Amino acid sequence: MKFKSDATQETEKKIFLSRILFSVAVVFLLVLLMLLRLVQLQIYDSDKYKLRSMNNTIRTHSLPATRGLIYDRNNQILAENQPVFQLEMIPEQIIDIEQTLKSLIELELINERKLETIKDNISKNYQFKSIVLNNRLTQRQMAVFANNRTGFKGVDIKARLSRHYPKKEVTAHALGYVGTISSMDYSVFDPSLYTGQEQIGKTSVERDYERLLHGKPGNEEVLVNVRGRVMESLGRKPFAPGSDLILTIDIELQEIAYEAMKDKKGAVVAIDPSNGEILILVSTPSYDPNLFSRGMTKLEYKAFEKNEGKPLFNRAIAGQYPPGSVIKPMLGLAGLHLGFIDPTKYEPCDGAFFLPNYSRPFKDWRTHGPVNLKEAIQASCDVYFYKTAIKMGIDNMSAFLSKFNLGTLTEIDIGHEKAGIVPNPAWKKNNFKSKENQSWYKGETVIAGIGQGYMLTTPLQLAFATSMIANKGKSYKPHLVKGIKNSSLNNTEYIKPVMVNRLNDIDQNHWEIIHMAMKAVVNQKGGTAYGMFDTDYPLAGKTGSSQLYSTEKAQGETIPEHLKDHGLFIGFAPPDNPKIALAIIVENGVSGRTAASPVAKKILDVFLKE
Amino acid sequence: MMAYNTNKDIFSLKPSEGLQQRLHIDFPLLLAFLAIFMISLTAIYSASNSNIDAVVNQAIKILISISAMAVVAQFSPLSYGRVGPWLFLLCLVLLILVLVIGETRNGATRWLNIGISFQPSELMKIAMPLMIARYIANGALPPTVFSVGVSITIVLVPSVLIMLEPDLGTSILIAFSGLVVIFLSGLKKRYLAVALGLLLASLPLMWSNMHSFQKNRVLAFLNPGSDPTGSGYHLIQSKIAIGSGGLFGKGWLNSTQGQLDFLPERTTDFIFAILAEEFGFLGISLLIGIYLFIIGRGIMIAINAQDLFSRLLASSISLTFFVYVFVNIAMTTGLLPVVGIPLPLISSGGTSMVTLMIGLGMLMSVQTHKRLVEK
Repeated sequence: MKFKSDATQETEKKIFLSRILFSVAVVFLLVLLMLLRLVQLQIYDSDKYKLRSMNNTIRTHSLPATRGLIYDRNNQILAENQPVFQLEMIPEQIIDIEQTLKSLIELELINERKLETIKDNISKNYQFKSIVLNNRLTQRQMAVFANNRTGFKGVDIKARLSRHYPKKEVTAHALGYVGTISSMDYSVFDPSLYTGQEQIGKTSVERDYERLLHGKPGNEEVLVNVRGRVMESLGRKPFAPGSDLILTIDIELQEIAYEAMKDKKGAVVAIDPSNGEILILVSTPSYDPNLFSRGMTKLEYKAFEKNEGKPLFNRAIAGQYPPGSVIKPMLGLAGLHLGFIDPTKYEPCDGAFFLPNYSRPFKDWRTHGPVNLKEAIQASCDVYFYKTAIKMGIDNMSAFLSKFNLGTLTEIDIGHEKAGIVPNPAWKKNNFKSKENQSWYKGETVIAGIGQGYMLTTPLQLAFATSMIANKGKSYKPHLVKGIKNSSLNNTEYIKPVMVNRLNDIDQNHWEIIHMAMKAVVNQKGGTAYGMFDTDYPLAGKTGSSQLYSTEKAQGETIPEHLKDHGLFIGFAPPDNPKIALAIIVENGVSGRTAASPVAKKILDVFLKE
Repeated sequence: MMAYNTNKDIFSLKPSEGLQQRLHIDFPLLLAFLAIFMISLTAIYSASNSNIDAVVNQAIKILISISAMAVVAQFSPLSYGRVGPWLFLLCLVLLILVLVIGETRNGATRWLNIGISFQPSELMKIAMPLMIARYIANGALPPTVFSVGVSITIVLVPSVLIMLEPDLGTSILIAFSGLVVIFLSGLKKRYLAVALGLLLASLPLMWSNMHSFQKNRVLAFLNPGSDPTGSGYHLIQSKIAIGSGGLFGKGWLNSTQGQLDFLPERTTDFIFAILAEEFGFLGISLLIGIYLFIIGRGIMIAINAQDLFSRLLASSISLTFFVYVFVNIAMTTGLLPVVGIPLPLISSGGTSMVTLMIGLGMLMSVQTHKRLVEK
């Protein structure tokens, strides 16, 4: 290095010193800037960043509540929750998603038809979120996966609860079914009570007792890492399980009724007249409600809807049928009560009834000869009731039939019930558009006398009316739920039966006559159900058939199956101390005697033995 | 009579005595380094999710770095002055070789493989201050226009070569370590103004030559919310980590941003954010305090150095060290765009620590190799 004089060195040192002092000043300014920035981040805005840090890492997982169980009146389980196992995968943990999916399809763990939906789900969701590949693994599939598990990192089996109905088709219409929650459901039920993962009641008891059955979801706060994996639980609020329901249904009787009906279209409703508890509620054809909780494809659901037998339609509460001859005991009672019928008086029946100005006769199904009221019911004489109808007039008839709750809702505790029709001139005026259709014809009064024409009733209404006859007026509103069991409080609240008695002014003797006539239907020669039951069978009943097709027109033709008459049967047993009142309808069953009364026998043979 | 050179001015630093002088080690600096290294090990244990291997790995690098520093400190500044130009030339050749036959990793060609793989730009961090201090100190102060021109060429050539790799962060640091020497040499203020003007004028040119990832970083810096999962992600998560630390911090190993993997590169460039989250403003202030002590002592050493070369060398090393600290903290707090500069002596990563400690070893050499002069 070159030699530098002291003076030069001093000058150089001075220059350097001034520059280094300047640099130090700059350093101080920058340090100050740095510190101010840290004060801003760590002190001034700290709360904001603390919140954002928490939002980063704390997630609230909701814990769906377990759905309440449903039992029959004898504590037999009708609806339970079963763990189902589903195949899920977390996309971010998988190296080659395409290949993984391909291998899973080869092992038959994924349905190839669902591949597009799965891929769509993967692309639309967070990579750390679990994607469902198969929502119900069979035992075999689970075994297959267990054997191949090592090859599928990031794919796993998860358990969840799904509704299961052990009695399948037997209880479908009584219980209803559950499915995944839709936006429509959220407009009815409080969304804050759902996590979105649970199943929700769609029809019948499952729907109408949804608020009790579903319980209250809990939640769990968890710490997650950047990939969304749960690192630890920060605390949990447990869910409150839904209440269990005890139904009024007697599953043993229900099964017998279903067995008897399963190949037919129709319905059976049986009520305990002493409290309104519905012992049987069957509608056929039925469906397996497990298909719904399992999750159906749109195609499967459409097939259900297109099915001609309309298996989803609840005939027991919404099927409206002309009551036919089963209306006769009620009209007979009306005649007695209102003084239009003298029970001792015989009326001739030559097989047809003529009305002035009507060219065609009103036919009877056979010629009965002279009959009194008891025999007219016993042998189901149409002419007798044609005459009675004309005597009473339609307004008297409809007013009296309304007391049997016909034409109005029974207010059963499940929805979608139909009211039926008890026609009269006022009703006709309100329900028809053209003037000529609005006027009431006398002939319409005549056929109303045998439960034909505009008159429509549901099987439930008929069973309810039968329970009124059985109890001689006093009755209870029909209901399906007997008790609500709160498992967390461990108590059961029983539903109090609601009494109905619009028929309390009827003379006891009049009731006796009707009861006697209905016993004769079953137990006396000439009774329309005579011979269908054992001798001296403790049952009072009435058969009926409702016409769908004018017999005049059918002369000489074979009637197509779907236009054959419906067969009906109503009855109560034992007649002296009624424990059951039932109504049976077999669509296109031709006659109540041959189609409906055997169903009653099968049920009552078991019921009366107990 | 022999005596140590005694300065009467207020910056006088007591000459290192006895043991320090014999070992050529400046104890106050060494203590500060040890403190920083303790912080480093603590931070890396937490940032690596309690991975003891990462800590052992870092400890080994620390030992190597301290040894390198101690060895470097044994030689006098004069010998470095002599070696400087040769080292600089060697570095230039290597930098050119990098661009020709270098190894490419993650889109950047920074490595040269001659048996072992290393970055010549790291070596340049040492060569640059040596070369430029040597050149400037050879002439008289303030430098002439000619020597300023030469100096700037000396600075620009390697800087541009490194920028081409591309390695903007290192390029800036190296350019700074040279330019600061020119500034300290008493460059006239009007030249400074011209230089500043040129720099500003060249910004658009630089922008157009930047790689897209570099542009993204700058854009993300200007508006981190625009792409919260992409380029802006680092910065957003880093600010959340620092801000949520608050005054006292969440405590060691309690950083949720770090422990739960929200913050990327947290053992390297973003380790400051982990420290800020776990130890809060108070802890960070202590860390900055230690850094300022090192820088302050370095500047004192520079002021008290016996010759111009030593003075320039020591001040370049000290101020560059400060720039390291500042740029890293400024980038993690969102004051500057993300350039890949580690937090000196704390971030994991071997070579930058070794070169830093070699530089700081030279600082010790300046302090402990004072020649006895005749009064």
